[in-house]
Amino acid sequence: MIRSTRHAGFAVAALVLLLVALPHLLSQGLLNAAIQMLIAALFACAYNLLCGQAGMLSFGHAAYFGVGAFATIHAMKALGGAGLVPTPFLPLAGAAAGLAVGAAAGWFATKRSGTYFAMITLAIAELLHSLAPHLKGWFGGESGVSAMRMPAFGISFGSTTHVYYLTMAWVLACLAALYLYTRTPLGRLTLGLRENSHRLAFLGYDVHRVSVLVFALSAMFSGIAGGLQVVNNEAANYVLFDMQLSAAPVLHAFIGGVKVFLGPAIGAALMTFFGYAVSDLTQSWLLYQGILFVLIMMFMPDGLAGLWFRCAAWRARVGTLRAMPGLLAAISAALLLAAGTVFTVELLQRLFAQDYRALARAAVTQPWPSVHLFGRDWLPGAVETWLVPLALLAAAGVLAVIAKRMVRTMSYATEPRGVTASTTPLAQAGSST
Amino acid sequence: MRTPVLSLRGVRKSFGDAEIIRGVDIDILPGERHALIGPNGAGKSTLFHLVSGNHRPTSGSIYLAGRRIDGQSPQAINRHGLARSFQITNVFPGLSVFENLRLAVMRPHRLQYSISRWIDGDRPVREETERLMDLVRLTARVHALAGELAYSEQRSLEIGMTLASNPQVILLDEPMAGMSREETAFTANLIREVTRGRALLIVEHDMDVVFSLAERVSVLVYGEVIATGTPDDIRADAAVREAYLGAEVPV
Repeated sequence: MIRSTRHAGFAVAALVLLLVALPHLLSQGLLNAAIQMLIAALFACAYNLLCGQAGMLSFGHAAYFGVGAFATIHAMKALGGAGLVPTPFLPLAGAAAGLAVGAAAGWFATKRSGTYFAMITLAIAELLHSLAPHLKGWFGGESGVSAMRMPAFGISFGSTTHVYYLTMAWVLACLAALYLYTRTPLGRLTLGLRENSHRLAFLGYDVHRVSVLVFALSAMFSGIAGGLQVVNNEAANYVLFDMQLSAAPVLHAFIGGVKVFLGPAIGAALMTFFGYAVSDLTQSWLLYQGILFVLIMMFMPDGLAGLWFRCAAWRARVGTLRAMPGLLAAISAALLLAAGTVFTVELLQRLFAQDYRALARAAVTQPWPSVHLFGRDWLPGAVETWLVPLALLAAAGVLAVIAKRMVRTMSYATEPRGVTASTTPLAQAGSST
Repeated sequence: MRTPVLSLRGVRKSFGDAEIIRGVDIDILPGERHALIGPNGAGKSTLFHLVSGNHRPTSGSIYLAGRRIDGQSPQAINRHGLARSFQITNVFPGLSVFENLRLAVMRPHRLQYSISRWIDGDRPVREETERLMDLVRLTARVHALAGELAYSEQRSLEIGMTLASNPQVILLDEPMAGMSREETAFTANLIREVTRGRALLIVEHDMDVVFSLAERVSVLVYGEVIATGTPDDIRADAAVREAYLGAEVPV
């Protein structure tokens, strides 16, 4: 326990140092991607306060992100463009707006639970999305609202590096606040809400009041994320209320793992980077994101962070050396599966593309023309072309079975006695004394 | 006669056309252990739901220490000094034993909605949690998740959570259901010990437990109390024998 606390402490310190050093290591484009990753990480963690900790699945968190963004852009534009507060404090406007709108929306939404709660949150977000283009004064119609970052405290805030440090400071401070929140009485009650809200009422708690408080706090941190987005972009329009933005924190939180405090942040950073890196390479990147999400939900419902902790626990039990072959087999299986899937998807995507279909129709009597992919030409009519993905997928399947068998036999050989769930400082559900 | 701490007057409850509780009058005296028995479907759990605020009575009134509580919310009734357990184990399954009890202890220490202090640093809460954990003999299981406890341990945990608000009246709904002989004996002792000085209303099917634990017994049949008295009175009561054994008793 103490060792794992110290390990987590080192990991967090190393991460902070890396974040501070990033502007010296990355190009402008990548630094912009890093800003997006940080904002997505905060949004996902704010969302997870509601979803993972309080157990309330909201489908409309874009509403509070968007409200925070618009409040911030108006604060930036206020007083003839001078800004209501100095630039570094602009996200406070987002926090205030998120808190207020979150409290109001939460009061209604938390009257119900489960599916009905989810539907109400969805409806509120859709309401804002359809209303925003018509309210020109607040949301600037279709074109949106834009403003300029003003220099403050002798810093110009003109370069990406300045914006990056501002974003990083806000995100780290908010994540720290969100973590410390879990150690307060309300933070503990939040977990009770997820586990058994009915019992809370019979212990004398006002469940609705607790739910509204948690909802409003989650909306407040989402509003800060929206505010940071605006500080970065210097513009906001009604697309911020889009369903896709509501879906993002849900996907990020579950991919990263909702039961671990930093899980959603990890999921958000990875998926945002994945989008940045892969969307230039292939048109099918949304499909890959979807496949990843489905696979994670099916085979590791506790997300990437959960997978990490399970692997670590297993390694600790059977020893690093004995765990190695199984882990290697599993990793190779995953890589082969990815390679096979990517090959199939890319090949099919090219074969079904409009221009290729036109070429194929033109060549009526000849065999279909070849497709250029991964530095080679592939004939769609040739057996070898299809043998490649088949072989990759088959090898992945065989390796997966081998890995599973290795893990299982080894786990049986070293059956633990009364091992309770691992409690790391990052696992918010962990017990504490 | 002492003033009852909990009294029900003409309480009725209908679900649609079905009248489940048909005019119940019960008085629970301060500090007494009172058992509620009756055949399946008699309305025992419904009566508990009415008293604890889970359901609202259709008519009639319920007084807790002289204060009218029928129709109030569960959390309000809990704050007036009544706590209950449930027939089906009702704990926080994904949280540890310690965390379960601490959630129960936080409320009476007025720590419900605070984000301005650390829960781990709060000594009174920790000490009270540890005292309760010791009382229901779960100290050895402090870090175990409630959902992974043995069944009888979960019931003990529930009793501990029920005690946290220091209630005047405790309702226990079949605390021994599904327990082995030894577990039942252990839990009966535990209940006797922890309810000292409080009024207890308990629903139980095990007659040995009822007759050894309770000072008075009420028999509920088809939503009506057909008899109230000491265990000996109840054992001898003709109407009770008919309800339980189906014996034909000439009127």
